[in-house]
Amino acid sequence: MEDNRPVSKSVLIVDDHPSFRASARRMLEASGYAVVGEAADGEAAIAAVGALAPDLVLLDVQLPDLSGFEVASRLAALGDGRPAVVLTSSRDRAEYGGEVEDSPVRGFIPKAELSGSRLAELTG
Amino acid sequence: MSGLRRALLALAVLAFLCGAATVPIILGSNHEDSRGLLVALTLSTGWGFAFTGLYAWARRPDSKIGPLMTAIGFTFFCQGFAAANNPVLFAIGTVGSTLPYGILIHLLVSFPSGRLEGQRAKLTVGLGYLVTGPLQLIWAVLTDPGTKSDCTNCPENPVLVSGYEGVAEAIVVFQVVAGIAAILLGLWILVSNWRQSPASERRALTPVVVTGGIAFAILVVQLILVQFGLPTAVKDVIYAAVVTIFACLPFAFLIGLLRSRLGHAEEVSTALSAENAELTAELEAKVAELRASRHRIVEAGYAERRRVERDLHDGAQQRLMALTMNLRLARDKVDAEPAMAAELLDEALVELGEATAELRELARGIHPVVLSDRGLQAAIGGLAERSPVPVEVLETPAERLPAPVESATYFVVAEALTNVARYAEASGATVRVARRNGAVEVEIRDDGIGGADPATGTGLRGLEDRVAALDGELSVESPAGAGTRVEARIPCG
Repeated sequence: MEDNRPVSKSVLIVDDHPSFRASARRMLEASGYAVVGEAADGEAAIAAVGALAPDLVLLDVQLPDLSGFEVASRLAALGDGRPAVVLTSSRDRAEYGGEVEDSPVRGFIPKAELSGSRLAELTG
Repeated sequence: MSGLRRALLALAVLAFLCGAATVPIILGSNHEDSRGLLVALTLSTGWGFAFTGLYAWARRPDSKIGPLMTAIGFTFFCQGFAAANNPVLFAIGTVGSTLPYGILIHLLVSFPSGRLEGQRAKLTVGLGYLVTGPLQLIWAVLTDPGTKSDCTNCPENPVLVSGYEGVAEAIVVFQVVAGIAAILLGLWILVSNWRQSPASERRALTPVVVTGGIAFAILVVQLILVQFGLPTAVKDVIYAAVVTIFACLPFAFLIGLLRSRLGHAEEVSTALSAENAELTAELEAKVAELRASRHRIVEAGYAERRRVERDLHDGAQQRLMALTMNLRLARDKVDAEPAMAAELLDEALVELGEATAELRELARGIHPVVLSDRGLQAAIGGLAERSPVPVEVLETPAERLPAPVESATYFVVAEALTNVARYAEASGATVRVARRNGAVEVEIRDDGIGGADPATGTGLRGLEDRVAALDGELSVESPAGAGTRVEARIPCG
């Protein structure tokens, strides 16, 4: 977790479950975030970051094609202008061992605890 | 002791007495030159054939070899009787003296099975018997021994029909020619049999072919040379050779016969070994299949657990996550924006309803409660109702069956109907479950496109294992374009 840049509030939601994306969008928009896009898998997420340049990516760990950790690494490689990444999952953080800590991400929020304030805590 | 054994023992005693009786007859003969050799020939060959023949008869009562050898032994004593000074004994001996050679041809040609195979063998044996039996009798009746140069001291012929000496001479010539022909034919058959025999049978034939071949060769030489009136010394040498080889003959037959038993035993042993190897291979295949099936069952268990975890994660858990977020948002908005909070709560209720339905479906996939509570009839009725393809349940057992049988039956029907809905493109399906002859017979038919291959689908393969675990069988018939029929038969006592 080396990325400590201040972030603005444009968000890309990456998750393969439409019901979660819809609820997260509502939750984040209600908290003042601007949800600029949604992606259902890793490749679509990387493409969307290139196209939309969001400040923040809410990234599910378990995606159909790539893992959230892999997507985070590839986004980190973008260099300047790369978005801050926050991982989320319906599983506990402990289930991923030290992978979360080793990833270039701001943090991890379990899906059940997702809120605008938790996101703000991690992203400044 | 069995009746046969007693009879054979009596024949053995008789053979001994007959042989013994020939000794004083031969030794007292006033017309036999080679008395010592004749005693040796008569006893060694007569007793040799009689005793080995009786032994063979006792060992293999179903074979003709023993009786034929015994008959040779008994008829050979006629050689001794032919040396008698008594006219009646002399006549009997003269008539019977050639008969053992006819029987010997029969024995050689039919050895070791005792059967005459084919016309050639039958003709040969027939010719041999004609020459040594009826023709010898006729010759003996028509011949006056007193007129023979080599039988000047022979007794009178008590049954002589005189005046046919020319016929008698012709008969002798025919006997010699036909006798040699029969012997050569016999040899030919014997050697042919030997060449065509498998190795195990050759072991039996070899001693007989060698000894019999030599004996016949000497016999032919003797038959030919006798016609030229040879000196006594030469005749004695040939005679000694005949004595020696004929003494060996019965033992050659006995060894051959015992070897044929050995060969038979080896064949049986080989056959048993082959059968054993086949059974072992079958057993190994079964064990391999069982091991593979056990492996698949364990794998299927893991796969099922992964599926349940994935279904829970992708289904109910995601809905519950969304529900949590909606509820949290509703709580935050309840004061400031009550209308939005109400909307969020409505959505939360829908999510909750869907999560509950998904959990119910998942639980039914693990174990349908209706099956344990109300049995197959109700559970299969439920499957038919939920199927997107119209399903007609034709028959289900009203009574309850053992739980594992009910469970396997239910999942066979459930998987088959799932496949119908997914792949068959059918307009309808039927289900029949019937208890017959100690087993449950399950049949699911559809009118779809067919072409299902159980080898490629894990679902049907898993069912096959589940059914096989109950000693049942599952089969799938799915010709392209003609629908699919899944059948299972599960024993249930």
